[in-house]
Amino acid sequence: MFPRPIPETAIWQRRLYVVLVVGILIVWLAPLFAIILTSFRSTQDVMGGNLWGWPTQFGLVDNYTAVFTQTPMARYFLNSLTITIPSVIGVLILSTLAGFVLARYRFRGNMLVFALFVGGNFLPHQIMMIPVRDLMVRLNLYDTMSALIIFHIAFQTGFATLFMRNFIAALPGELFQAARAEGATPFQTLVHVVVPLVRPALAALAILLFTFIWNDYFWAVVLTISDTVKPVTAGLANLRGEWISAWNLISAGTIVVALPPVAMFFLMQKHFITGLTMGAVKG
Amino acid sequence: MTSLELRQIQKNYGTYHALRGIDLSVEQGEFIVTVGPSGCGKSTLLKIIAGLETVSTGEILINNRDVTTTEPGERGIAMVFQSYALYPHMTVAENMGFGLRMAHRPKAEIDAAVLRAAKILRITDQLDKRPKQLSGGQRQRVAIGRAITRSPDVFLFDEPLSNLDAALRTQMRVELSDLHARLGATMVYVTHDQTEAMTMASRIVVLNRGSVEQVGAPLELYRNPANLFVAGFLGAPRMNFFEVTVAAVSGGAATLSTAGLSPLAVELTEAASVQVGDRVTMGIRPESISLAAEGTASFAGRVRLVEHLGRETILYADAGPLQCVSSESGSGNVTVQIGHASAVSADATVGLKVEPRDVYLFSSVDERTISARKPTITD
Amino acid sequence: MTKLWRRHRWWLTPTLLILPAAVLFSVVILASAVESLWISLHEWDGFSPMVWIGLGNYRELFADPQFYVSLKNNLIWLVMFMLAPPLGLAIALLVSQKIRGMRLLKSLFFIPLVLASVAVGVVFTWVYTPEFGLLALIFRTFGATAPAVLSDENFVTFAVVIAALWPQIAFCMVLYLAGLNNLSEDLIGAGRVDGARGWNMLRHIVLPQLTQVTFIAIAVTVVGALRSFDMVSVMTSGGPFGSSEVLAYQMFEQSIFSYRFGYGAAIASVLFVIMAVFIAWYLTRMIRADERGG
Repeated sequence: MFPRPIPETAIWQRRLYVVLVVGILIVWLAPLFAIILTSFRSTQDVMGGNLWGWPTQFGLVDNYTAVFTQTPMARYFLNSLTITIPSVIGVLILSTLAGFVLARYRFRGNMLVFALFVGGNFLPHQIMMIPVRDLMVRLNLYDTMSALIIFHIAFQTGFATLFMRNFIAALPGELFQAARAEGATPFQTLVHVVVPLVRPALAALAILLFTFIWNDYFWAVVLTISDTVKPVTAGLANLRGEWISAWNLISAGTIVVALPPVAMFFLMQKHFITGLTMGAVKG
Repeated sequence: MTSLELRQIQKNYGTYHALRGIDLSVEQGEFIVTVGPSGCGKSTLLKIIAGLETVSTGEILINNRDVTTTEPGERGIAMVFQSYALYPHMTVAENMGFGLRMAHRPKAEIDAAVLRAAKILRITDQLDKRPKQLSGGQRQRVAIGRAITRSPDVFLFDEPLSNLDAALRTQMRVELSDLHARLGATMVYVTHDQTEAMTMASRIVVLNRGSVEQVGAPLELYRNPANLFVAGFLGAPRMNFFEVTVAAVSGGAATLSTAGLSPLAVELTEAASVQVGDRVTMGIRPESISLAAEGTASFAGRVRLVEHLGRETILYADAGPLQCVSSESGSGNVTVQIGHASAVSADATVGLKVEPRDVYLFSSVDERTISARKPTITD
Repeated sequence: MTKLWRRHRWWLTPTLLILPAAVLFSVVILASAVESLWISLHEWDGFSPMVWIGLGNYRELFADPQFYVSLKNNLIWLVMFMLAPPLGLAIALLVSQKIRGMRLLKSLFFIPLVLASVAVGVVFTWVYTPEFGLLALIFRTFGATAPAVLSDENFVTFAVVIAALWPQIAFCMVLYLAGLNNLSEDLIGAGRVDGARGWNMLRHIVLPQLTQVTFIAIAVTVVGALRSFDMVSVMTSGGPFGSSEVLAYQMFEQSIFSYRFGYGAAIASVLFVIMAVFIAWYLTRMIRADERGG
């Protein structure tokens, strides 16, 4: 069962193999194809029940225009960016600092602090829901994008610190000893040695965090209610309630929500996979 | 002038004693090589001098200044690491100037210092490259260059040649000795390789289990090891050790007898208190044993294995009742080193001769050397 | 001042560096978790003062039939989610061939992983839509009528879990692909020389090297199953009649819709205890591996 490499010469075998993989892929992605095809359909076809037959007319442009003009989707989209980007930057900074300390300084409780960061990461979100919501209400931040940004930074810092700590701990220790012997202060070491060396990890982490935060739905519905602050995920759930059976529009909306992470993924695929496996394998 | 002084350095990790009271005084311009088996504490000692590890008790003085609690960067040391520890994201020049840059020195001064070091090491054409583009030997030079740039009071080397291949290691050994001669700087060098110790050191410090066994010039240590450990550690192939009995003591010499060995009268130190019937350990270096005719031989052996190395021949001989307790082969066979290509073949029985002046004796009680001093120069 | 800083910076710098992350994380995440346990001992609507009722919420919870429905559904999630690691491994094995074009095919297999769970929920709601959806289309091809799975109490949880499995399988596949990449070539070669092929190769040479990855895949899958909320919320809102609710959703509904924060906190606490048992086991494994120099 372990995939024996299919030899270069066995063209016939290779073709058969590729056909097999493509076949499975089509089944695997069938739900996605269904939604993409539906997002191309015209409203007349959808209302008339013609969902799978040959379309009488195409609704591609109409549907996507409608999503952005007749619904607050454009606003949601902008909100999502406004929430996601500062959150990612915030997490990257905090986790690099904390990861550096946890990886390079031995102090009593080091392992405990690390374990708390890791363990907190596994908490069910519901256990934090009521106090976090209450905290944001008291801080007058409930139903603002800041509430989501603060929460995402706090929560993702757990995972990201684990990630950065493991990456920095895997760097050769002699580099740090050399920096110390050369008279670099801890802060100089951080700026001149750590940051340049962890760039690949930061790239991988950034795209992972972008995906996590962009895709968040739970906290979006817990901490926001207004259209002016809601991110796309909560927005999409809203639109479904409004449109009920306008599946062509819902499909187009879904594609809009799904697109940024998918695009990020294809643009920075290598970083994404290293990030995911590095984070998971070590943690 | 004393450049580096260690007073009663101890390092404990919990109940484990990594260093048990090290005293050492290093003169300006000395090249000190610390050797010892792995786990003897030599790397810990170097890190303590550098300030990368703290001492449990004891004091460190550099140029008569107490630096026991001083940060590494302010001790006036520079260190060359086993893995070179070059920053992969910096060019050679940036690597070499890093320490000065961190101290916020003016750029002109840094550039001058880097260029001076690069000239000494002949790497001026590599300054814009990154470590990844360099060979092992070049990286080694950059690491040394980084140390020179800081013009430290004391250079520290942590097994710097162990990642190089054999040929390059020989070359770097020569270059390091040459560099030491030119800079005239104080250097402390840690290695497990006794060849490096013998060839480069002004003085060798032999460490074992966290204690100094002996300090001295290379040939002095080789010819007059203070104890059984030093005798066994320095020299390749290793010294042969035998358990023997003292048959007679007269005129400051002990006559040894044991089955298979014709009596040998070995001169003793004045301090030695040896009595007839005592068990002592006898040590003979492989190169002190020679082939001899039947009548003049000290003992006879049956050759088990012959190694032809061209300029010399190594024999492993089974000397019957005269069994080695510790030797190169580890099998009880006696190791013999003959300084030429020999026709002796395996399974032959040969006569082997040793001069009493080449025989070492060690106390069975405390393993100290009890045979008399030997001249360091033998010609 | 400068002198004081110089003398103490060896410990002050690291402290200052770790402080923002540590404070934010402990206040927002850890303290909140503990506070929830405290709230669960009260009657609270979120506005009026809290009233201490001891274990009242828990007594009510353990007598609540809906709680057992949620618990049962969580169990269904957990059991069905265990399909993700083997299926992920199967796809990983399928696509780990070094053929031109394979990279693109591989990344297409990853797509469900990066989709927002809301998007996955909507996609599958569309697939399951009676009469018009993909499922209906497939059933019609065979001359049958598809059941309305999302409004059928017997099917609904399974239907939601299948949707949730889609990205989870992709996740496991990514982990296994990385694991397969790191296999020791020497061991595979040695296995070939010893005549191991096919199933034997997988069973005796490949899988033993993937134990670490499998451990992680299972851990991630367990956490995923217990955390399930988004799919239930988007696809069924717990319906019909609460039959697809899980603990996470029931908690949300009780707090946000019924303003029963104390009761919601109690449900969250039970979920937390279930997860804590798992976390404790996982952390001890991880720390032990770290101490071994892993």
